[in-house]
Amino acid sequence: MEIVKAVTCPVCGSLCDDIEVVMENGKIVDVRNACAAGAAKFLNYNCEHRILKPLIRKNGEFVEVSLDEAIRKAAEILANASYPILYGWSSTSCEAVRVGLELAEEIGGVIDNTSTVCHGPSILSIQDVGIPSCTLGQIRHRADLVVYWGSNPWSAHPRHIERYTAFSEGRFQKSTWRRYLAKIRALIAKKKLERAFKRIFFKREISVPPHLRYEPPPFLERKERKLIVIDVRRTKSAEIADYFIKVEPGKDYELLQALRMLIRDQEIETDKVAGVPVEYLEEVADVMVNCDFGILFFGVGLTMSGAKMRNIDAAICLTRDLNMRTKFVIMPMRGHFNVTGANVVSTWQTGYPFAVDFSLGYPRYNPGETSVVDILLRGESDASLIIASDPASSFPKKAVEHLAKTPLIVIDPHMNVTAQIADVVIPSAFVGIEAEGTAYRMDHVPLPLKKIVEPPEGILPDEEIVRRILVEVRRLKGIGGS
Amino acid sequence: MVNLYPKREFKVPIFAECINPEIFEDKTLSEIAELEVWEGNKRKKLGEFFKIEEVKAETEEPTITLYGDLSRIRRIGTKMRRGIIKIQGDVGMHLGEEMEGGKIVVRGNVDSWAGSMMKGGIIEIHGNASHYLGAPYRGSTVGMRGGRIIVHGNAGNEVGAYMRKGIIKVYGNVGQFVGLRMRKGTIFVAGDAEGRMGACMKGGKIIVCGHVDSILPSFTIENVKGKVKVEADEIAQGPFYLFLGDLTENGMGKLYVSKEKNSHLGFYEKYL
Amino acid sequence: MEILIKNGFVFDPINHINGERMDIAIRNGKIVDSVDESSAKVINASGMIVMPGGVDIHAHIAGSEVNAGRLLRPEDHAKDVEPKTPITRSGVGYSIPSTFTTGYRYSRMGYTTVMNPSMPPLEAKHTHEELSDTPIIDKATFPLLGDWWFALEYLSRGQIEECAKHIAWMITSTKGYAIKIVNPGGLESWGFGKNVESLDTEVPYFNITPREIIRGLCKVNKMLNLPHTIHVHTNNLGKPGNFATCLETMKCVEDLAVDEKPVIHITHCQFCAFKGEDWRTMSSGAEEIAKYVNNRSHVTLDMGQVIFTDTTTMTADGPFQYTLYELSGNKWVNHDVETETSSGIVPFHYRRKSYVHAVQWTIGLELALLIKDTWKIYMTTDHPNGGPFTSYPRIIAWLMSSQARKETLKKVNPRARSKSLLPTIDRELDFYEIAIMTRVGQAKALGLKEKGHLGVGADADVAIYKINPELTDPSKDYKLVRKAFERAAYTIKSGEIVVKDGEVVKHVEGATIWLKIKTSSPIEVSEDIKRRFREYWTVEYENYPVSEKYLAISNPKEVEASI
Repeated sequence: MEIVKAVTCPVCGSLCDDIEVVMENGKIVDVRNACAAGAAKFLNYNCEHRILKPLIRKNGEFVEVSLDEAIRKAAEILANASYPILYGWSSTSCEAVRVGLELAEEIGGVIDNTSTVCHGPSILSIQDVGIPSCTLGQIRHRADLVVYWGSNPWSAHPRHIERYTAFSEGRFQKSTWRRYLAKIRALIAKKKLERAFKRIFFKREISVPPHLRYEPPPFLERKERKLIVIDVRRTKSAEIADYFIKVEPGKDYELLQALRMLIRDQEIETDKVAGVPVEYLEEVADVMVNCDFGILFFGVGLTMSGAKMRNIDAAICLTRDLNMRTKFVIMPMRGHFNVTGANVVSTWQTGYPFAVDFSLGYPRYNPGETSVVDILLRGESDASLIIASDPASSFPKKAVEHLAKTPLIVIDPHMNVTAQIADVVIPSAFVGIEAEGTAYRMDHVPLPLKKIVEPPEGILPDEEIVRRILVEVRRLKGIGGS
Repeated sequence: MVNLYPKREFKVPIFAECINPEIFEDKTLSEIAELEVWEGNKRKKLGEFFKIEEVKAETEEPTITLYGDLSRIRRIGTKMRRGIIKIQGDVGMHLGEEMEGGKIVVRGNVDSWAGSMMKGGIIEIHGNASHYLGAPYRGSTVGMRGGRIIVHGNAGNEVGAYMRKGIIKVYGNVGQFVGLRMRKGTIFVAGDAEGRMGACMKGGKIIVCGHVDSILPSFTIENVKGKVKVEADEIAQGPFYLFLGDLTENGMGKLYVSKEKNSHLGFYEKYL
Repeated sequence: MEILIKNGFVFDPINHINGERMDIAIRNGKIVDSVDESSAKVINASGMIVMPGGVDIHAHIAGSEVNAGRLLRPEDHAKDVEPKTPITRSGVGYSIPSTFTTGYRYSRMGYTTVMNPSMPPLEAKHTHEELSDTPIIDKATFPLLGDWWFALEYLSRGQIEECAKHIAWMITSTKGYAIKIVNPGGLESWGFGKNVESLDTEVPYFNITPREIIRGLCKVNKMLNLPHTIHVHTNNLGKPGNFATCLETMKCVEDLAVDEKPVIHITHCQFCAFKGEDWRTMSSGAEEIAKYVNNRSHVTLDMGQVIFTDTTTMTADGPFQYTLYELSGNKWVNHDVETETSSGIVPFHYRRKSYVHAVQWTIGLELALLIKDTWKIYMTTDHPNGGPFTSYPRIIAWLMSSQARKETLKKVNPRARSKSLLPTIDRELDFYEIAIMTRVGQAKALGLKEKGHLGVGADADVAIYKINPELTDPSKDYKLVRKAFERAAYTIKSGEIVVKDGEVVKHVEGATIWLKIKTSSPIEVSEDIKRRFREYWTVEYENYPVSEKYLAISNPKEVEASI
């Protein structure tokens, strides 16, 4: 038995790097410190959907081919295209993204990563107003107020609260997990009682009267970390919060602007904003102003609803305004483990974090125009390469139809939905398990990804596959060199 | 005067900054046919895409008339300073971007970023305009600095964002965030507005004659006005609720909203 | 490959060569005595100036803060693009160029070595990844250590040796080159939104003052025998009246100097040479600083010259950047790094007609001209804070020609003009002095023995400029000078011709120079230190250091510490 320590988990943007992987005979048998999603990835990555041979569609059917043939076919498709798109990149290493950008430049294509459908709006807002932020350790050491807005870390980033926020322990802040534990126990007991009560006496559902939701919490006086959760529904994360604001769907912008008004001590001329009484908002605004160090985490619940990018614009302005009164920072909860890395690499090579169009020979950027979803919806591309992503399962139907209509290359370890409609499929190794590399945590801290096990025979990492396609493209275009 | 007719259907985006009366002026038809155009990543010539004809001029002004579906063609009339472009059909993004003078008339729909960062001249759209009408490029805080945009149909989101001068008139409805972060200038909407009018505006004037769902909490009611001046010889008949904002940006922008079409805003009157 | 540069006017101050007509021979990336003329590639440099390749002691070109600046400013890039060529990669400018463009633009001006002066150690991998994607030029990077908890704790307890051992570990594991100190104590205070006011303000919770941090790290620097001095961005940067803080900072390490050797580098001095009570009364403190520096030998400085343009300011000085945001109302990025440092970014437009900006412009030039010894002050813009590095040729013209200065002075804010000493300064630098300020002095201050000269054994990094010092009077023909320095006739990097007539003709990788510091008893990696590590940072000890594979070309310099 061998234990590999300090392994970085290639699942979500929290990028926990304290994972211990237990090996036996070159196989992973156990995983320590990981959350359920992390453990599942390490233990079950090699499942039955794994592709083991390159495939090319001939006469409508997939045929197993050699890697060289698949690379050649992929290169031919890309080299001849007038407006190819290269999409994915957020579940692979920075090293692969680097080569991907070089390939996109060589073929005059559009390269875009999954930000385009998650935190793209956040980036656009940052470009409009900036962003006061920090690394996660700052929060662990200093934050006495944590706000989660439109994100449910309890499910999406399971160890976020434990490692970086409410339950973590820092130099100036103690963990509050004991307090929460007590609260949760009480809650569970209360629910059990209620259920029993209902079963016995009413035999029907009772909903909690709405005014109870705005009950001020009992912890107001304590100088301890406080947690505010703002969401359209009462999530698991909301259960452990000191304050929960249930915002009317699509009305986050109004709520944010109202909070901005309140921290500026200005009066609001309505009784409710986004379904929340202004009195309650005043209380929350007071908590924000009176903290020593506050952090607002936001998720796709905020970026993808109602005012979309302008929600983030307002959230950042709220944070910025709060710095007139105290210290406050804000951070997007990034989903895929290296979507931040894809943005970072793209930015240093091209100046732009996603949706980069090389068709005119230099990098051009204008999400809405150069973003892959929009290009597909307008039906403009004439070839696609999808890597480490499954857009066919998440993009709008019309976009997927166009993706299927034009030549499609997929590089992925799994036979995902996109691979099923592809013309060329090249299997790849799992980066962070079967291949090494670098990934960036949601707070821009770079961490190494380890190679723990050997990939199946003949299976290459993304970086190597893309490099081979690039070499082949250059050969086809008559450009010498490596 | 030159007429352009597309020779075929366009699939990938086409960048045709050269379609500009000033560039066409003093050129022979064969010289015009040689002008550079990009079709995706391929450098091509204008003559490969269009049948180019010279017709007798109706005006002194250099004029280009385009026919057909041009919705894939971007940057027509970019940085144009004078002359006339007439478009008999739909047209693609960035129409008249950074335009300084002259006139563009479209008898169809126009894609996003029309009149983006415009400094002068006129764009008249008889169909619908899409998003970011007159808005600046990503990250820039300098929007429209002059000129007029008139839309007879509807317009999308963020009409006149970061506007600093000039006038935009939309006779149909507009999407969200009309006049976002504007500083000066006038936006007139004859129809409805989807919401969040004048968000973070610092100055300028927005007039909405149709229905609005709500007013942002960062605006304060100032008055009820019988009528509002749109421009020198045009007055919009009210009555209008006049709101000031956006207070989160210490703004003193004026937002006029029809009283008649928005009886649900009546509760604001108690603050007057 | 062998190259022979024939008949150029050579400026090589380290070897006391002042414009003599001579040949320079190159073999295998080094300067040699002679090469076989018949087989070597011969460059006819007659009528041209030959200098060592340019060295920049302070330019923010890579890392998380620079990249956040890039992300923040699509509108800055869109106006300045570089299309792909068969030789070069594409990219964007203007104030924060993409990595490839950075390398190309430096080399097109004849620069071959650049120091990246602020690297948050936790994000060192990011800096190195970017540096590896910055072609042609050699580079090094300085970890930010002035607010690192380990350093603050050891120094406050007087455990200077322990501190030195940890600093040695830190520089070596993050592949750094020098100790960078930014607003010491201020950045830790900024963790809770505060700042320190003076050298003697106590840093909250740490029982230490900025003065103690600077002195402590200055001693550490000496104990470790580092090639460069401590590299200091002073407290109170960018505030009226801060010239006093700057003088205090220089004074506070005066007694630590031996043998007239520099012990402190005050970077972008222009930003900490303001007199006055507030912005209305703000004026130049260059005279006082120059007077002090002229009588001492323990200090080196760089200018931090301001250019009238739209640029992007970025420093690790979080509180200063917040002030700048409040002043300008422009978009603002802040990025605090746990246990170590902070940073901020604000786009900024320096305008000729603004009183304050015009005063700033005069301060930089006054410093450069009033400090008599060019070995003490180097040309920088604190890229991109004062303006992009591509404006260096413009500064050279101002330094070489009082007429060039007068032309600009005519256009600046009249009150700033009337209050400035600049119109009364007649000094005009010659090519020898320009060589010192733009490369030779910088290489010397950095302790880069193979750079900054053309003696046998030096790295074959050479810049050739198309200007004839016998026929050109820089005082009058300053525009020609500017043009010549904008586009090097040839740039040779490690013995290869990479630029010809101002265009990149070959894409080569540059090396990253870093220090491998040897201490007699290095810190022990015990379970205890790993635990402490876990308490201070949110990453594991094993994942912290930067491995050599992050460096495109690794050029370690071994340093024997005296502890």
